[in-house]
This record gives sequence, structure tokens and C-alpha cells, in this order.
Amino acid sequence: MNKLLHLTLLSAGAFAFASVNTAPSALAGPDNDTLVWASDSEPENVSPYHNNLRERVVLARHVWDTLIYRDPDTGEYRGLIATDWEWVDDTTLEVNIREGLTFHNGDPLTAEDIEFTFNYVVDPDSGVVTRQNTDWIGSAEAVDDYTVRIHLDEPFPAAIEYLAGPTPIYPKAYFEEVGLDGFSREPIGSGPYKITEVRPGQHVRMELFEDYFEDSPRAEATIGTLIFRYIPDGETRLAELMTGSVEWLWRVPADQADQLEAVPDVAVTSGETMRVAYLRMDAAGRTGDDNPFTKLEVRRAVNHAIDRQAIVDSLIRGGARVINSACFPEQFGCEQDVMVYDYDPDKARALLEEAGYADGIETNIYAYREREYTEAVIGYLREVGITANLQFMQYAALRDLARAGEVPIDNQTWGSFSINDVSAITTTFFNLSGDDFAQDEQVAEWLQMGDTRTDPAEREEYYSKALQRIAEQAYWVPLYSYSTNYAHIEELDFQPYPDEVPRFYAASWK
Amino acid sequence: MLLYTLRRLLLAVLVAFTVSIISFGLLRLSGDLAAAIAGPEATEAQIEAIRVDFGLDQPLVMQYVDWLLGALRFDFGNSFYFRDSVVSLVADRLPVTLTLGALAIMFALIVSIPLGVLAAVKQNTWIDRSALTIAVSGQAMPSFWFALILILVFAVNLRWLPVSGSGTWAHFILPAVALGYYATPAIMRLTRTGMLDVLASDYIRTARAKGVRPGKVLFKHALRNAVIPVVALAVVQFGFILSGSIVIETIFSLQGLGLLMWESIGRRDFPVVQAVLLLIAMMYVALAFIADLLNAWLDPRIRVA
Amino acid sequence: MSTVERHDSPFRRMKAAAVEDYIAPSPWTMLRRRVFGNAGLVVGGTIFALIVLMALAAPLIAPHDPYAQSLANRLVPPIWHADGTWIHPLGTDGLGRDYLSRLIYGSRISLIIGLATALVSGFIGATLGICAGYFGGRVDMVISYIITTRLAMPVVLVALAVVAIVGTSLQLIILVLGLLLWDQFAVVTRSATMQVRAQEFVTAAEALGCSRLRLLCSEILPNVMNPLIVVMTLEMANAILLEAALSFLGLGVQPPLPSWGLMVAEAKPHMFFMAWIIMLPGAALFALVLSIYLVGDGIRDVTAPENRN
Repeated sequence: MNKLLHLTLLSAGAFAFASVNTAPSALAGPDNDTLVWASDSEPENVSPYHNNLRERVVLARHVWDTLIYRDPDTGEYRGLIATDWEWVDDTTLEVNIREGLTFHNGDPLTAEDIEFTFNYVVDPDSGVVTRQNTDWIGSAEAVDDYTVRIHLDEPFPAAIEYLAGPTPIYPKAYFEEVGLDGFSREPIGSGPYKITEVRPGQHVRMELFEDYFEDSPRAEATIGTLIFRYIPDGETRLAELMTGSVEWLWRVPADQADQLEAVPDVAVTSGETMRVAYLRMDAAGRTGDDNPFTKLEVRRAVNHAIDRQAIVDSLIRGGARVINSACFPEQFGCEQDVMVYDYDPDKARALLEEAGYADGIETNIYAYREREYTEAVIGYLREVGITANLQFMQYAALRDLARAGEVPIDNQTWGSFSINDVSAITTTFFNLSGDDFAQDEQVAEWLQMGDTRTDPAEREEYYSKALQRIAEQAYWVPLYSYSTNYAHIEELDFQPYPDEVPRFYAASWK
Repeated sequence: MLLYTLRRLLLAVLVAFTVSIISFGLLRLSGDLAAAIAGPEATEAQIEAIRVDFGLDQPLVMQYVDWLLGALRFDFGNSFYFRDSVVSLVADRLPVTLTLGALAIMFALIVSIPLGVLAAVKQNTWIDRSALTIAVSGQAMPSFWFALILILVFAVNLRWLPVSGSGTWAHFILPAVALGYYATPAIMRLTRTGMLDVLASDYIRTARAKGVRPGKVLFKHALRNAVIPVVALAVVQFGFILSGSIVIETIFSLQGLGLLMWESIGRRDFPVVQAVLLLIAMMYVALAFIADLLNAWLDPRIRVA
Repeated sequence: MSTVERHDSPFRRMKAAAVEDYIAPSPWTMLRRRVFGNAGLVVGGTIFALIVLMALAAPLIAPHDPYAQSLANRLVPPIWHADGTWIHPLGTDGLGRDYLSRLIYGSRISLIIGLATALVSGFIGATLGICAGYFGGRVDMVISYIITTRLAMPVVLVALAVVAIVGTSLQLIILVLGLLLWDQFAVVTRSATMQVRAQEFVTAAEALGCSRLRLLCSEILPNVMNPLIVVMTLEMANAILLEAALSFLGLGVQPPLPSWGLMVAEAKPHMFFMAWIIMLPGAALFALVLSIYLVGDGIRDVTAPENRN
């Protein structure tokens, strides 16, 4: 019978072990010229236009080049794929392309690829989920091999900022050959790193692209291999860093960041980011006409109920600050002279009573990030009689539920795709689309004006009106700007920027 | 024996069929599939087109038959989240979970069989009671909590073992311990009971009377017989361990079926949830069937029952 | 009481005779001796009673409101730590809520889940088991098939999937676990009922024209009570652990309820630098579940010493 036992166990073990994957963790670190960076979310699709996670922005910045490059130190725009550009008129931008660029598979990059990319992403059938980044584009047209014209339906002065960020260029021939599915499995770009392996749910491996052009305005990449590892559990990520299997982390909560300072071989840097947090409330009544958040008093009560300063001081720390307007304060057009709701629980209770909810409100609250911060909000709401039951899920699931109008209140965050302009946040969430919880036509109209005027002063004026009305109507509870704590091994020379895009191509080993 | 096998097989097939209906029902309960497949920005017309395309306008029974035929060919459709087929996602993760499960059950056997033998030999002494307490503690300890303690002690403080991932054997040690400990009391009790029965039996007494060394009696004769039902139990426990792996895989970021299931729930990716559920249930049905046969083969009395 | 018993029925006399045969000390004395001679039962029973008391008296003994958050007083260390204070004997959590108070109130959630689930599942399981055991034949076959199907459903995964689809609340968790954890009740009552049924007094009662329902309630149920109680303790423990695991995964009881499993999850970000914060709720769970197991084992030993080995 011992034989039976052995046999059972051995065969179970053998077939199980036969095909265990080899994860990259064992080969990481400066000795192998491999930088492993880990994060909590995994893009549903590596194609940058087909997911809207921050990790996507980071991958995109390393693997794909854009037409224009914004120097993160000076804010100056320089040509990346483009050599120069010129507004032919208010709605036509002519861009000259650098000659001799190639994609990772060796195909030359020409105006045709740019024409294809932009026409593809504005096509309603392309399945693009980041529409707000490309909505301003009407169409693109290759004039010759190295000249392309971008036609706009309306003037859009922020166009250059968008061309320097969330608008990577795809290889026409390859994409048409393999389709979106093939492309997301084996993506090709023209950036300083090429993707060599995509394992859904595990990691994305990138290697230095040897033929990357030499006079790029980007810093020259030196680290041989980058591995983006998806590790959902925060403490596991931290433990991996402390035990040397991961070299770089971000979004380390302030408490751990403080403690990590004392850990040898680990460096911690922190700084404010362009990401802001806010509560959205279903003012439009999409979850039902009797939804309490359709009442202005209730929305104002929620605004008064939360001690945002205490959350910033105690929980987030590290350069975060309270915001009062529905955007990041330094973004162009982010009006600061808006109605401010002080922390005043008594007033909140009085407002709720006024609205007919003296007995309190019970609601579901949705969230996808930093559970503890949302729980603090829930604690404050509870103080004034609002029982909020947390429904915690992943971003894409929450996004879809919210767009379907099934979310009464949620705790959202938005990093504006690192675009320094309120059109990247306020317009995105107040444009009468599924993401717009207010569905306020007046606000949407003003934002539209702001987006399309060419005179900066005039733009600011419209944005100001819109943001003042948003605050006055208390459509959101603007909460705070985020600070991000980066933790990495001492041997890595890493410089963080407030736009929340780690630039590993500019990092190096000490 | 053949009749018994056939009857058990029939039962297993029947159960598998029922489980498949439940899994199917679960996916249908999750909401409008056509809208989910179409995505948040689809128009009514697009949703309607998908409804027809995927046969979602058919009667529920027809949909079930279609789905079942697909499932039999390992076709569970596509993930809502990834642009990938469910089966390729699952196939990618299955080896990790099976490895974890096999190691966990091995750990449980390594701990509980000696404990059980010891408890039986020293019946009703403090050793017996301590052995039982050690085993029962495994069952009473919340596995997620035990796993966190293991990480804290062995990975972070002592740095003996890696924290997460599935690259090497070492990666599986902590999760297997965390998962396997839960199964120890059942196996240990059964070993103890079996040993006591065997030790009291005539032929052991005869062996002893004949002057066979006590150690040889214990290991060559007694344990050999007591271990039979333990193997059968271990097979069933393996099924339980597979479903318990969701907690452990999540904590150790082990890319197995459990983690896939947990994440798919967070992403509302129900085709994947359904496939994992069905797969684990089917594995359990198969394992229970094997255990039944093992038991019957070893103990002829069962066959008539 | 049934008419049968009032008329000093034959099987009643039989039972009495069987008992009298070996009574030397009174049965109560025997029981007491066995209960207090069983260390596991005494220790487990004491811990369990203390936890129940703690749950009942929570508002009286908890020093603070378990929900009152104070961000200025986050992560205060417990009293044995150099910076600990008696204001928060076990410190505070990441939102500045008093940890001792949350632990005390948390016992209520675990106990409610455990008891309510065991009742729901006990009712389902016992009904099925008694029917299968009493009627036998086709009924037994169908019920055995239901039990096998239930066993094939992985509990954690099904519970998670249901919760993900329907949403979460305390009542739902109880219902889902109750609907899933009845299998052992059914198995045990089925075989116990079969044994009882084969005994003469049941046959006799049937012969005397007792209605089946009355017979089931008055004769079989009391006889299967002991194994039922033992299974009940096991399933209570099981339900408590499952709720904790579901809450830990974020799909069980929802914040701000102080479920122990949820507390471990909430404390997890601080575990590397403040280990006590995950130790306390986990240890509470461990103590409660272990005490229930010990009580269950003890009851089995005391009521059916012959089954001990």
C-alpha cells in the first residue's frame, strides 16, 4: 500500500510541476541589468488606447513615441517623431516627421502610420476607451511621406499638449496585419523599449530598443531590461521590495513610507502628483429619481461632512493638499475662486434635515483605490447620519458600472493622463457622457467653449464659469491631490515628476 | 466491483451535470450578457446585434445546451476583460494551482501521518492529546492570518523564503504550508483511528506474539493497513484544498486559478468566474469518484453498499 | 408528549431497563464527572462562554464607540508598548478607532454568523438527513445525490461568486453560508436516523399507529440530537472562518462593521511595522474557533464515549 501512496503523490506532483511558469523575479537587479517595477493594477489590454490605467501611461511612454515631447523639467515642447509643426489655420495642424525612424520590427515610420493611427482611434468602431484624449481630432491626412496634416472639427488649443502625451503612434502595416487582438499580444512601437513578452495577469517584459534614434530629446535609456510585474497585494509588493525581488514601487502608503525610510538599501521619495481624488454624486438621478443625491442640500451636506484637511494631514501626507475645484490646481484653467465647503458636521446634519433626511440616508459607495482613504470618508459620512456601504472593485468594473448609471456615489481619482489642462479632467467628467454624473447642459456648454476657444484669457473665463457652477451645485466633493511615495532600491538613480509618470528610460544604476 | 464502479460513475456524471447547470445559472444571473460583451459605450443596436450573434435571444434551455457543448470542447468563450479566450487564461494558471495543491496535501500528510501514528501508539496520554491539539489548531487558525504570519516571519524577518510569485520550488513552500495545515486534523484523526483499529486486530497481536520487533510491527504491518483510507481521504481533501487556494494565492500573489477567480470577480469578468468554478467542481467530482473506487477496492464491504 | 409514552409503552420500558442495567452512580453524577474530567471541554467551554459574555455585554465593557474615528489618533500602540496609554488599551487602528472596542463588538458579528448559519444549515441538513434516513429507498437516493452535488460545489468560490453578483450584507452572508454548509448535518442525521429506525421501539411505535411526522419529531429527533450538536459546533466554526475569509477578501461583511476578518484586512498595510495590529483580531478568531472545536470534541466524548476512538 505504500507503493500506492507514493504513486498517487508522485504522479500528482509530476504532472503539476511539468509546466510551472518561470517568473522573472529570480533574475532581477542591477547585476542582471534588469529593473523590476511592480504595481497593483494590470491593464486589460496593453494597447495604450484600449485601457485607461496609469500603468498603461507608463508602458506607453516607454514603448511608443508620440509626435511631440514635453520636457518634464522645463515644460518646453520639442519634436519627438515630429521635427516641427505649424498651425495652418485654427483647425489644421501640419507636422513634419523625422526621417529614418523605424518601429521595433524594422518597418520605417512614415506619415502614413500617423494618418492611420489618428484615423483609427477616432473611428467609433475601434473599441478605444480613451476617447476623451482624441475626440478633438477630426481626421489625419498624409501629405507626403514625411508630412502629415491633422484636421480638427473645432479649434482646440490644447492639441500640442495632447500630442505630447496620450497619443502614441502605431505601425500601420503591422497593426492591419495582426489586428487589435494580435497587437495586444505582441505590441510594436517605436519607443526606446520594445515589448518582448506579455503575460496577462503576470508581467510585461521590455528590452532596450537598440535602433532607437540617437538625437531623441528623451534622455538616453541605459537599463537593459524592464519588467512590469503585476502584484495585486500591497504588502506582498512591499515585502518583495524589502527582500530584493522588486526594485521599484510606487503608491506606498504614507505610514509604510515613513517606516521604510529606516530600512537599509531602500530609498523613499515622495511628492505631489497631478492625480486628484473626489466623490461623484448622482445628481442627475440616473440610479433613480428618488436618489437623495439629486437634492442640492444633500450634496452640500456631503461636502460639509468630510474633514478633508484631517485626511490630508493624517492619512495621505507627503505634499498632498485639499482641493476645492474639480481639477488639479496647477492645470491650465483650474479656477480656484469657487465656493468652499468647510468641515462642519452640524451644518451637514441641518442640511440633511432640510432635505427631508432627518433619519439619515443609506447608500452604496463605490471605490477602487486605497480602501483606507474611502473608509475614512465613510467614517465622516456616518457621523452626520449617512450610512455608506462600501462596494470595492477593480477600476474597469467600476468604470463600466458608473457609465451605465448604476452608481449613486463613488470615490474616484483621476490623473488627467498627465495633461496640464483642465480639458483633461473637468471636460471629461462634465460632458454629458456616461462619465458625467451631473448631466448639466450649462456646464457642458461652457466647458465646450473653453476647450475650443483659441484665446487663453477667453478659455479661462469659460472654465471659471463652469467650475464655479460645479462647486456651487456641489456636483462633486473635490477631496485632495495625491502624493505618491516611491520606494526603490538605493542603487537605482530615479527622478520622480509630479505628472506621475516614472521615466525608467531616464533612470540608471548608481 | 464493476457494477459499483458503474453506479458511482453514473452518480458522478449526474452531479457534474447539475453543477454545470448551477454554473451556467450563475453567469446568467450576473446581468445582461450582451450589454457586458458590447462594453459600456455600445449603442442599443450594437447590443442587439451581439445578442443575436451570441445566441442570447434563444430560449434559456437552448443557450444552456450551446454552452454545455462548448464547455465539453473546453470552449468557455472570451474574457470580458482580457482580449483572450477564457480557456487559455485558465490553462495558463492551472499548473500553479495544481502544484500548490499537491504540495499542500504532501505537507498535510507529512505532518499528520506521524502525528496520528504517535497519538495512536501513545493513546490517551498527554502525547496523544498534544498531537490532537497541534492538528486541531491548524483547522482553527484562519488560513489568511496564518499565511500573513508565515510571510512576516519566514520571508521578511528571516528571509529564508521568497514572498510571491511562482518561479521556483521555494516560492511554493510558504503557501503550501499555509494551505496544507488546514487539512491536517482530518487526516491525523483518521490515521489515529485506523492505527488503533489495526493495532487491536488479531494479526498484529499474532505478529507481536511471534516476537516481531515493535518498530517493524508498527511500520511494516500496522501503518500499511491504516494508511489505506488516509489516501482516499487525502484525495478528497485535495479537492477542498483547490477551493481554499483562492485566499492563499491572493495573499502570495501566486498566479493560479484562485487569484484569477478573485480578480475576475473584482473585474466583473463572469465568464472566467464561471469557468474556474466549473473546473474546480469537476476536479472535485473526479477526485471523489477516484476516492470512492479506492475505498471500495481496498474494502470489499463497501462495494455492496 | 406522545400518547405512547403516557401509556408506559413497551419500548419505553425497554429503554428504562437498558439504562438501569449499568447505573451505579446517578446518571447526572456520571455526566458531571465526564464533563469536568474532559480538559478540552472545560477549557473550550470557558473561552467560549467568555466570548459570548463579551458579545452580550459589549456596550457595557467597550471603552469607546467602535465606529468613532479620529484621524488625529491613528495607530496608537497598545498598552504593553512604550507609548501605549490606558485610554486605548489595545491601541487604535488606521482610522483612529479604538481597537479593543472594535474587537469586543467584532465578537458579535462572528457569533451571529456562526449561530445563524448553523441554525439555517442545521434545519436544511437535518430535514434532508432525517427524510433520507427514515424513508430510505428512492428518497434516500435523491437526497444522497443532492448531498453529493452540494459537496462538489467549492464553498468559498460559490459564496464569492454569489456575493459578487448579488452584493454583500450580513444577512446575505448568513443565507449563502447556511445554504452551503448543511451537508454534514444531512450525512450525520441520515445515518443516525437509519440506526434509530432499525431499533425496535420505532418499529413498535409504527405498529401502534403513530403518525410518521409525530414519530419523526418525538422519537428520532431527540435521538439524533447529540451528533447534531457536535456537527453544529463544527459548522459554526466553519461559518465563522468562512465569513472571516470572505471579509478578508473584501467580499464579506462590509466596512465599517468590525468583523475580525475585515479587521485583519484593514490592518494588513501596517503588518510589517506594527505586527500587533494583525495579531489581535487573528488571535481572537483563532481563540473563538478553537474553543468551539474543543467544545464540539468534548460533547462528542461525553455523550458518546464509545465513539471516541
